Amino acid sequence: MHEIGVMMEVVKTVENFAKQNGVTQIQTLVLQIGELSSVIPRYIEACFPAAADGTILQDTKLEIEILPGNALCCECSKVFNIMENKSKCPYCDCRDWEMLSGKEFNIKEIVAC
Amino acid sequence: MNTFKVMEIKRSVFEDNDKQAELLRKDLKKNKTFLLNLMSSPGSGKTTTVLRTIEALKDEMSIGVMEADIDSDVDADAVSKTGVKVIQLHTGGMCHLDADMTKQGLEGLGCEEIDFAILENVGNLVCPAEFDTGASKNAMILSVPEGDDKPLKYPLMFSIVDVLLVNKIDTMGFFEFDLEAVTERVKKLNPNIKVIPISAKNAQGMQEWFDWIRTQVTEWNDK
Repeated sequence: MHEIGVMMEVVKTVENFAKQNGVTQIQTLVLQIGELSSVIPRYIEACFPAAADGTILQDTKLEIEILPGNALCCECSKVFNIMENKSKCPYCDCRDWEMLSGKEFNIKEIVAC
Repeated sequence: MNTFKVMEIKRSVFEDNDKQAELLRKDLKKNKTFLLNLMSSPGSGKTTTVLRTIEALKDEMSIGVMEADIDSDVDADAVSKTGVKVIQLHTGGMCHLDADMTKQGLEGLGCEEIDFAILENVGNLVCPAEFDTGASKNAMILSVPEGDDKPLKYPLMFSIVDVLLVNKIDTMGFFEFDLEAVTERVKKLNPNIKVIPISAKNAQGMQEWFDWIRTQVTEWNDK
């Protein structure tokens, strides 16, 4: 339910971009989704055909790049993956860290033809 | 032979909505309308709280209410009996409101004459937290029967709101609900949040809530 609304937003944005840049056919749409963002790639894929139906994106292939949820440890300044290490720095066990990436939900690019 | 061209877009999906929300906030400021976005899970007492709030404040300021639901108009019907302006927004299956829908709602209300507009968002603790509606301030209700672990389960919602109402505190004796733990968990996510325990049913704590609104409305509309 959440993903379909979000995908309709994506389709709208890409349609506008295509119009402004004189693109009439889009072969591939590439999205970037952070592993800590609240959208689930599997559901995004599932609802894309419905959101794209009747638009310029109807026959477009969807590609999703997953961005890792990484953090910088405030104690030892090393970078680690938040989920794999259960929110704790694996080098010094510190729980004080800054998020570097993982919350993204971006339209990266399109392959136009 | 086809020539393919890769075109970079590099845009956050929420960018459009964020821009619209900013524009709407500016309009509200200009029109001297304080818009409160009220969020919670279904059944936490949003509508009852809205009704009590209207009763207490309608002689001091002009109030307008937008009721957002996937379907039905039961809430709008209840609110219209108080005599304030109310409009029902149907999201048509969508789980949240965005800035554009909020703007349409405000136009329907005729926001020039309204000092205090309440947006009763769709009952949901996930999606409404991600979409900026353009409101002046955000509030949420957590009710005692939902449990004190909700800030742990829905951290985003608790981290974006300005005020948290803990409703149905008159039922505290029947549930294992630790108000101190909630406050501590919420402050960890959001140090500036204001927590007000209330019972919309028996009026406990409601004066503090009304005072908070009075202060916000005055600040927003005077500055």
